[in-house]
Amino acid sequence: MISGWILAATAAACPFPQHFQTAHEIQSQVSKVAEAVAPSGRHRAVAPPVPPPIVYPSSRSFIDTEIFGKMKLARIVPAPMSSDTEFLRRVTIDLAGRIPTPNEVNAFLADTSADKRDRIIDTLLASDDFNDRWTLWFGDLVQNIYDASSVGQGVLNGRSPYYHWIRDSISGHKAYDAMVRELLTSSGDQMAAPASNYFVRLYQENGPPQDTFDNIATQSGTQFLGLPMMCVSCHDGVGHLELLNRGMASVKRRQLWGMAAFFSGIGVTFQTQGAGGSFVITESNGTEYRLDTTTGNKTSRQPSTGGSDVVSPAYLFGGQPADGENRRVAYARLLTADPQFARAAVNYIWKEFFGLAIVEPVDNFDLASTTQATHPALLNELATYFQQNGFDLRALMRLIAQSNAYQLSGRYGGTWSEASTPYFARHYPRRMMAEVLLDALYQATGRHMALNVVLHGAVTKAVATPDPLAFVNNGYAQGPFLQDFGEGDRDSNPRSQDPTLLEVLEMLNDRQILDGIATTNTLVGSLLSAKKTPDEIVDQLYVAALSRHPIDSERQTALAYLNGGTLSDRAPDLQFVLLNKLEFLFY
Amino acid sequence: MTVKRKQSCEICATPPAFPLSGAQFSRRGFIRLGGLGLAGWFAGNAFSESLLHQRTSVAPRLHNTAKNCVLIFLEGAPSQTDMWDLKEGSWTPSGLAPTTFGDVRWPHGILGKTSVHLDKLAIVRTGLAWVAVHPLAQRWTQISRNPAGVLGNVAPHIGSVVSIESVSSRRDSDVLPSFVALEPARASAGYLSASNAPLTLRVNPTPGAIATMTHRDGALRLDERLQLLSQLDPDRDGALGKAASDFGALYDGAAKLTKSPEMASVFTVGTTDFQRYGKSKFGAELILAKQLVAADRGTRFVQATYTGWDDHNEIYGKLVPRCTTFDTAYAAFLDDLAGTPGSTPGKTLLDETMVVVYAEFGRTLGPLNVQNGRDHHQRMSIVFAGGGVKGGRVLGKTNDVGDAAVDYGWSLERDIRPEDIASTMYSALGIDYTTTRHDDPLNRGFEYVPTAKDGVYQPIDELFA
Repeated sequence: MISGWILAATAAACPFPQHFQTAHEIQSQVSKVAEAVAPSGRHRAVAPPVPPPIVYPSSRSFIDTEIFGKMKLARIVPAPMSSDTEFLRRVTIDLAGRIPTPNEVNAFLADTSADKRDRIIDTLLASDDFNDRWTLWFGDLVQNIYDASSVGQGVLNGRSPYYHWIRDSISGHKAYDAMVRELLTSSGDQMAAPASNYFVRLYQENGPPQDTFDNIATQSGTQFLGLPMMCVSCHDGVGHLELLNRGMASVKRRQLWGMAAFFSGIGVTFQTQGAGGSFVITESNGTEYRLDTTTGNKTSRQPSTGGSDVVSPAYLFGGQPADGENRRVAYARLLTADPQFARAAVNYIWKEFFGLAIVEPVDNFDLASTTQATHPALLNELATYFQQNGFDLRALMRLIAQSNAYQLSGRYGGTWSEASTPYFARHYPRRMMAEVLLDALYQATGRHMALNVVLHGAVTKAVATPDPLAFVNNGYAQGPFLQDFGEGDRDSNPRSQDPTLLEVLEMLNDRQILDGIATTNTLVGSLLSAKKTPDEIVDQLYVAALSRHPIDSERQTALAYLNGGTLSDRAPDLQFVLLNKLEFLFY
Repeated sequence: MTVKRKQSCEICATPPAFPLSGAQFSRRGFIRLGGLGLAGWFAGNAFSESLLHQRTSVAPRLHNTAKNCVLIFLEGAPSQTDMWDLKEGSWTPSGLAPTTFGDVRWPHGILGKTSVHLDKLAIVRTGLAWVAVHPLAQRWTQISRNPAGVLGNVAPHIGSVVSIESVSSRRDSDVLPSFVALEPARASAGYLSASNAPLTLRVNPTPGAIATMTHRDGALRLDERLQLLSQLDPDRDGALGKAASDFGALYDGAAKLTKSPEMASVFTVGTTDFQRYGKSKFGAELILAKQLVAADRGTRFVQATYTGWDDHNEIYGKLVPRCTTFDTAYAAFLDDLAGTPGSTPGKTLLDETMVVVYAEFGRTLGPLNVQNGRDHHQRMSIVFAGGGVKGGRVLGKTNDVGDAAVDYGWSLERDIRPEDIASTMYSALGIDYTTTRHDDPLNRGFEYVPTAKDGVYQPIDELFA
């Protein structure tokens, strides 16, 4: 499954160019600039052409120093800073997974204090919406799901307890490394000890136990280190991966087994008591990882001639259990202390805020590459910051959101070159992810969602669904909408931001849109029945949908339209148009 | 509606305990070619300069016999030795009712309606997948290359290549997208523009219209709304960046499609047809596929995906009803295509449409496994009909067990690979499968069908002869 996940994730149409300028290319551009401006020995009397000065934002932290420093070297002009309303919308979506309310917009605009951006960041970080949005993120990372293809038993009743464990961890400010350690060392019944769902999710029902151990090693390595471990779960890297990932090309299958051997004591059983039964994770000390299989989901595991059939636990980059140390505790210790653990995490988070990670694809780090990272020093500085701040997700996100790099406008002004994208020279507008988009549609049109998810309970927004297929499996029309906007299934279909014709057809014709522009139980309906003036209607629809007031020309165009026919017909048309503005979808 | 995809062995690499023997399956060869191992090997050869050079010297053989292609993808991998390459044994349940038609032993109990169309079918029995891992092989067959290779991440679906190749022949009246996927395909437009991505439709197991294809408030209303949108959304010129403008660029096509009243019937599954096609989701997919190609309004490639063939346990309890569902719909589909006039006088729609029944790989052979199921196997059968294919034939022969080929059935005297199948589809559609585009983001040259290690991949000419 993970290979599908990796493949599709990287195939997903990332809007950004696939190859980035190398340091060498940048250097050669810089020297060309230098030649152009250097006074020539033979023409000292002629004034050299002076390049126009480029003004870069000041540095709030090392983030800005790295981002603007690299842009400066390449003489790339940054976008202007975002307006207040642009910033508010972006940071609310990124941190809280929703668009701002009209009250929030107006309060922010009215606030004249110099530190209002920092304060709104702190407010959002402390909000309950933050917990929903980042529970969704962590659920994606560990693929919390109701129905996993590798688990033949089918229903993973632990989905909701697992969801609540993640949410409680996020809302309780549990450190990221502590969350991962808890998952990797969990045991017990999946209902009572929900962290153990991590292992249930990776259970390979139809193979020998080694298949499950290998799944745990490949998945935890991919999720928490960003390394494509799947490749070496069937064969050595040599002869296969040289062109794809040079770092992994030198990794042997035996090293993957060494990682899997930390989990060789794990047992998965199914007990039938209670509604639907449950999986139980146990661990027995002293059970070895043996090379004694010819069947299952991987190529044969056999010892080399004359070699031992027992593989001892050994961490990929060195390290083994200390005397008397539980194997899984040792693995969790080694993994979370690995600098790559923090690097992979900050790279994921960076992508959530910028749309493009420093290392792409995020789950395919090539540790032997010197050109894969667009900003290698920044990646390491972020990782160090994260680690030194106790793996506090909020601290990391605060630092990112406060940076001037993050607060650049999405509108560039001058002529944009796609080659400037990996410099982060503008904020690159991204389409709202499926769940956020659906919630934004509801919020913008004044509708309320109240859906009951089986084995979970009431859900009032898509961002708070326990798994991607929850609405589909409950037969709600909102489910296919989410699926069609690339929600994925945390199993064989990864999340996708690809633009598709179907998405546009849905924006034009789907019930989720048309119900929102109807005149009952909607914002536009209540404005009409309250006999609001056309001017008030224009203003309120704009603020609700786009988190800003209309500019004069927009107000005039909209008013001319509303006044050109029956208001109760035309106000819904305006609502429709605002939802279909690219500015609504892309932020 | 529930979306549940049951694959109990998604990460499976190779069939367990299968005796790999014979020239094609030397132990060493297997180790190198099996599992995910092909990635580096393949990528390393596919882009060698000299091979690319040699490649251009091979004249493509374009059959150009089809206007359309319908790819029926049986996702999960059906058991070829219970269906298209029947091997009878103590495991064979009586429900399969093996029957002889000419030289062919046929599971009449589960493919009885299809047997009526044997004169139209060409069954290729020497297909061989490169890997037996579902997601990898599904994508492999649909992008005709190794997804783990260098261009795997950006490679477009075969249908998207057909789409970009049909751009120049599209007429103003062609309001349908070139590529339609009924249920999600395993690849999209890759690095090609979003206009070449499939229009993916989720199909209901009920008759009725697909809701998102028409504007509930009427086409006139939509017109007014879009007019206002054009006044109020200056960002469509690219001010919000490429991702946004790519999305915005799809509005014209979506609006044209929505506003064509005659298209409503194309996206509606009729009650009578639904009945005739067996009252199933797959039946509804084939009804839509038929209507899409019959409309002749721009759709050239349709993929209809039928999921759930991954029968690791209790295979016959599930395979028999599933085959019956398939059989009813597939036979009705062939009936309808053969009974519909084509756009060229004297030709039927089937004459102009290549129909390919395909999957990512096959299943293990002989006695069932301990769970009364069949596991993954690289050997597979592919069934062709229409679009210039001469029917009533079987190409290739497997040995008694069904693993190795004893007669490859075509001039290249080797197993038939997914890349050969893609070449066949391209060739039938008149698309030069030896094309190398030079617009890929990795700047390596995107070959429609990659260069083979041994010679070249090529169409199965024997299908057309």
